[in-house]
This record gives sequence, structure tokens and C-alpha cells, in this order.
Amino acid sequence: MPRTTHVAGPRAIAARVAAGTLIAIGYIDLARGGTVIAPVALVIGYVVLVPLALFAD
Amino acid sequence: MTTPATAAELRPSYRAAGLTALGVLALYVATLAPSTAMWDASEYITAAYTLGIPHPPGNPLFVLLGRVAALLPFGGVAYRVNLLAAACSALSAGIWFLVAERVLAQWITVGWVRRAGAVLAAVLSATAFTVWNQSVVNEKVYTVSLAFFAVVSWLTVLWCDDPDGRRADRILVLIAYLIGLGYTNHPAGFLVAPAVATAVLVRRPRTLLRWRLIASAVLALALGLTPFAFEPIRAAHHPTLNEGEPTGCTDRIAVACTFSDTTVRRLMANVNRDQYGKPNLSDRQAPFSAQLGMWWWYFRWQWLRDPHGTQGALQGALAALFLGLGIAGGVVHWRRDRASFWFFGPLVFTVTFALVYYMNFKYGASQSPDVVGVEREVRDRDYFYLWSFSAWSVWAALGLVALWRVVAERAGRTPRWMATAPILAFGLLPLVGNWRAASRAGEWATREWARDILNSVEPYGILITGGDNDTFPLWYAQEVEGVRRDVTVAVTSLLNTDWYPRGLLRRPIYKYDESAGPAAYRGRSWPMPTRPIMTLSKAQLDAIPDYVELREPQLFEQGGIRAVVDPRRLEFGVPLRSDILVLQMLKDNLGVRPFYISRTTASYAESLGLGAYALVQGLATRVSPVALVANRDTVAVPGLGFLDVPRTTALWREYGAPAAIIRRGDWVDRPSAGIPALYTATALVLAQAAELQGRADEAEKMRGRGIDVAEAAHITEWFVGPSTDVPLPASGSDAPRGTALPARP
Repeated sequence: MPRTTHVAGPRAIAARVAAGTLIAIGYIDLARGGTVIAPVALVIGYVVLVPLALFAD
Repeated sequence: MTTPATAAELRPSYRAAGLTALGVLALYVATLAPSTAMWDASEYITAAYTLGIPHPPGNPLFVLLGRVAALLPFGGVAYRVNLLAAACSALSAGIWFLVAERVLAQWITVGWVRRAGAVLAAVLSATAFTVWNQSVVNEKVYTVSLAFFAVVSWLTVLWCDDPDGRRADRILVLIAYLIGLGYTNHPAGFLVAPAVATAVLVRRPRTLLRWRLIASAVLALALGLTPFAFEPIRAAHHPTLNEGEPTGCTDRIAVACTFSDTTVRRLMANVNRDQYGKPNLSDRQAPFSAQLGMWWWYFRWQWLRDPHGTQGALQGALAALFLGLGIAGGVVHWRRDRASFWFFGPLVFTVTFALVYYMNFKYGASQSPDVVGVEREVRDRDYFYLWSFSAWSVWAALGLVALWRVVAERAGRTPRWMATAPILAFGLLPLVGNWRAASRAGEWATREWARDILNSVEPYGILITGGDNDTFPLWYAQEVEGVRRDVTVAVTSLLNTDWYPRGLLRRPIYKYDESAGPAAYRGRSWPMPTRPIMTLSKAQLDAIPDYVELREPQLFEQGGIRAVVDPRRLEFGVPLRSDILVLQMLKDNLGVRPFYISRTTASYAESLGLGAYALVQGLATRVSPVALVANRDTVAVPGLGFLDVPRTTALWREYGAPAAIIRRGDWVDRPSAGIPALYTATALVLAQAAELQGRADEAEKMRGRGIDVAEAAHITEWFVGPSTDVPLPASGSDAPRGTALPARP
């Protein structure tokens, strides 16, 4: 059955924004030499928020 | 009896799966290592704690996850990182529950029977020896990979159920992302891809023609790979562990050096694991039949680990049973749930046969001991087949449920499930049989070993090591526990790389803490060195060739040392970069820093022509600035060399590993059993010396302690009588870490 292209809903958009923000914060902190905020932000971003963003309605 | 599964029957029991995962986690916590272990455990724990870069490919996702685990507010650092391994495997077990339940729903209509079968799959996969043993210490990154495999498996099963559903495309895109992300944990992350592709091709081939979906999946895969950006950014800060040094920045991070050709080249070398120079696949390192034999050797371990070969017949019988159950489970899977089979079958094939072919191993370290004269892996590689054994366990559980069904149906007019349920006890055999060998509860020996060998070195000393087991635990002790950071550890296998010597030059000089050091060093003045361990600049270091084409003996002269370096006595017949750097460090530090070579390197001091200057002090051999002469305290021991009796005796009294080994009562990993052997050898030689010096009581006590260690580690056959000419341990280097090591001339 052919399907139309999926259009991201508010939850997916929110998750994408949150994922992008957190990953950016993670890399910025990492570049500054951070060893606490960076890994926490990157793990939440990559392991939790990006999958949510890809899966959410 | 078979009816199509209803929607209710297909509804996954997420709560039961969660409870099963918690049960498995409880088992792992009960058997969790409180500290580090041999081989790569210390390297990965240290990398996690310091947010460093372990050996190529650098495993950025693991390092990030491990660092977060290390931040947990309870237990020691190693315990917390070990918990990460346990949690990943427990999650996998919970997902195998869901997969098994999903398959069973196609041919078992009784809910509790399906769930019992699913629990069986989870328990079997969690207690297969290698899965269990790797889940109770974070030795590698493979349990994280296992969790990725399991999650991707479940998502693929969901997609196969409804490939035209509302969420089907999103599931595929998510799978692509997770495969990419899994790759940043370990390249094995891609192993699941062929199975996903097969499932998609068989279930809905036209999916591959939907270019927008394919483009989204490719983008998601690329997004999943972006954690590799961690490596150059972090490497530019030059953390303690900076393997491969994937950055062009020499002093501090900057945009120009981060986005330089050097950074890209070094990062790609790391990602592609260039350092290891794996042979071409057509160049088999052992016959394929032997490589399959290696898989079978480790398959036998899964259901009853018998480290000392005392239950071979039972182990073989159980292996045959679980092989048969797995095959039966695969057949049942094929017949009852073709949709998920087209994923799971190729997965089992990929992580078994294809992986055996791809890994192209030499003979296993303990495989077929009767086969002599063949090259062997330095250690047992069962962990590479962890995914194979885990997935096979799911099929074995399905096979056992199929058997249960046959028995239940024959027991009465209607299936007598409850009355025949005891047959499931077969699935608990690995839990019982593997408990002792798989458990790492109370294992402190590696941590104590690291402390002992560091404490064998005088303050501010340099210690030359040879491989994994005499290096990584020391990194852990120094960087995680802060033990003897004043000692500079230099491992010869990494001295052959370009980046490692540069890292040694960068290493700060740490102050010796007398209160935490051994009593033997107290009450003396230990001047803190002020200059780096080598006088060479970084440019000079980089200019040292991989090896020197030197065939004739050369004289090494420095201070009171006149050593003849005979290339024929060196491992490769010519001096390697590592040999040149070791001699350079000796030259630069004579009279400045005590210089030691770990006893785990066997005869390295002799091969450099330093035998007349080598003085054994505890677990290390000190290079004396003048030729040694035997006297009351310095005893010449055949097969060992000169032994500093008072120093070694004093150090021995403070060593922690002998007690830890005796308490544990076993040493399961045979390739590293040379470590307890070193303690026993030391105790026996000290006992001899004490006897010669008229200290009979002490001699008896020392000998008894050495024998206790040997008995605990099951290596008494290595020691016949009180001889000191014992096999010394191989330090075990996982692979030649040097770039372009010369071929043996």
C-alpha cells in the first residue's frame, strides 16, 4: 500500500530540537575540555532524544 | 492444535519482559566484579573514567556511555562501569524474551506457556558462559553491541509484522540510525545489517525502490556515525589515554588543527583500525575447519564451563544437547514464524559462520591443545562469538519448548503443560553449571596485581612492560585509583607506534606519596625528577624508524653499563623502534630515575644484553647502573638472574594479589595464568633464599604461600619440586600494536 511522506508532528519536532540542542551543547562542552556535561548531554542526545525524534509522531 | 495468533496473543508482554530483565540484572549484580579484570577491562574502565580514547577504532559511544556510568553516585568506578555491561546484557535478555514470545505466539495458544518459553530464552541467553562472564565485568564493548543487536532485532520483528503500517518507515529509519550508532560502539554494529536487509528484501522488496525512504535511512545511518566526531575533539585535549592520537593539534585544541589533513588521516586510521594490519581474508591464518572448530570449542563452554578439563564428557553431552535444541528451534522458527525467521536466521548465520570467516583467527589459545606447531591467538576469543551464543540460546529455548509441547501432548488428551513443565529445567543447567566460572564476585586479584607491580618500582621509576596484562591494570591503578602515578609505565608494543612515545613525553611528573607507598621506600629521600623521560624532541621521536637494519652486535655504553646488543637475540632479529626507545630512556635516566623491566617480559633484559645488570626486585627487574656481583643479599638464581632478597622479601610481605587469588580459589582464564605463576615462582625462590640464609621457618611459610597460590590457580603442575626454573608469564599483547612491524628476516 503506497504511503504519503510522513510529516513530523509537534512531538517529533520538539524531540528534534531538543536532540540537536543537547548534542550541540555536548560537543561545545567537549571542545572546552568538559568531562561531565559533555558525555551526559551527548548520551542523552544520541541514545534517547534522536531515537525519540525519529520515532515520534 | 495450531491456530493463527490473535491480536491479543501478538501483544508483547512488555511488563513480563521488564521483570525478566530485572531478574537477569539481579543475577549479574550478584556475580558482578567489584573491580577490574585482566585483558582489556582496565583499558576500557580507564578510558571511560578519563573520557579517553581506547585502542582503535576508539569506541566513542562506549566511552561516552562508560563515562556516564562512571559518574553514578555509588560503588567504585570499576563497579559502576561493570554495571553498564550488566545493564546492557539484561536489556538484551528482556528483548530476547519479547522475540521468543513473538515466535511462540504463532504456535502456542496458552499465554503462560508462551511466557515460560520466553523466560527460558532470556535465562538461557543470559547464562551462556561467555555472555554471563562478559556481563559481570566491562572487559570489552561487546555487551553494548549485544544490546544494539537486540533492540534492532525487536524493531525488525515489529516492522516485519506490519511492513505497511503507519510507523513502518519510521522503524526502518530508526533501525538505520541505530546501526550507525552501534558502529561507533564497535564495527560489529554493522553485523546486524545483512539480517535486516534480508528481512526487508523478503518481506517487502519494493521498499528498496522507495528512494525517499532509502535516502532518509542513509541520512539516519550517517547521523548515527557522527559520535566519531568525539575522537578528534577529545584527542586534542590529550587525555591520558589517547590511543592513535586522532588529532593534528599538538598543544591545544583549535579550529585549524582540528580540521586539518593530519586529523582526518589519523581519525580514519583509527576508525579503520589500520594499526592492526589484518591479513587479507584469502590469506587464512588457520584452516577454515579449524576456525569453525574454534567456534565449536567455545560453544562447548557455554553450557558448562569446565576450565580445568575435569568434566569433558558431560560438557560434550551438554554441547550436543544444546546444539540439537538450537537446530530444532531454528527449524520450528522457520516453520512457524517465517516473517521473523527471515531476520533471525540470517542474524545467526552472520554472527556465526560469516563472523568465523571474517575474523580469520589463528588457532584459539586453548583450542585443541594436542595440536602443536601452529600459531595461536594470544588469548581465548570466545567473546567475539558472544552474539552468536546469545542468539543461539533463543533458538535452543524454542527447541526446548517444542520438545515440551511434544511431551505435553503425549501426556494426555489435552496438553498437560504443567505436569510436564519440569522438562524446562534443562534450560537452567547453564545457570547452575556456569555459576562458579562465570561469576566474578569477589575478584580483586587484577587490581592487587597492578598495585603489587607498581610498588615493585622505586619512586619516580620507569617500568618497561610488554603487553596487555602487565600494562592495562597499571593504567587503571594509576589513573582511576591514583596508585603510584609517579611511576612511568612504557609498554614496548605501543612504543612501536608514532603516537605513544609522544604521549609519554607529555605525561606530567607526579609527586610520590610516601605514606601510600610500600614500607621499603620509607624514610629515604626521593628527589623528584624535573625533566621528561626522554631528551628527544617530538620531531626527533617521529624521525626514529620502525626498525634498524642492524645485523651485527653493537655496544651500548652509558655510565657503568657496557651492554652488547645482539640483534639475533631480539624477537625480530633487528632492533625495533621500541628497542631503540627503551635504550634511549635507559640512557637518559641513568642516575635520574630507577629503570625497571617487568618480569612479565620474560627475558627482555637479557635480549638487550643487560643480563649482568638485571636485579630482580619483587615483580620487576631493575637495571643496575653497574655490573652486579653476587653476595649475601644479591643472590644469583639459575633461570632468574640476580635476586635482591631483602627488597623482594619486604615487597612480598605487602603484596595483595596472593591473598586475593587464594580467596577466589580459581583462575578461569588460562592464558593469563602466568600471573599467579609469577607469584608462586617468586615465593619459591624467596623460600630457597631464606633457607640458604638459615631462616627455615620463614622459608617454610613462604613456600606454603606460593603453593597455596598455585593450588588456587590450578597451576601446581607447572611447578615440580622447589625448582625456580618455572615458566614465566606472557604479558599477552592482544595484537601487534606497532605500525608496520618488520617481517621476521
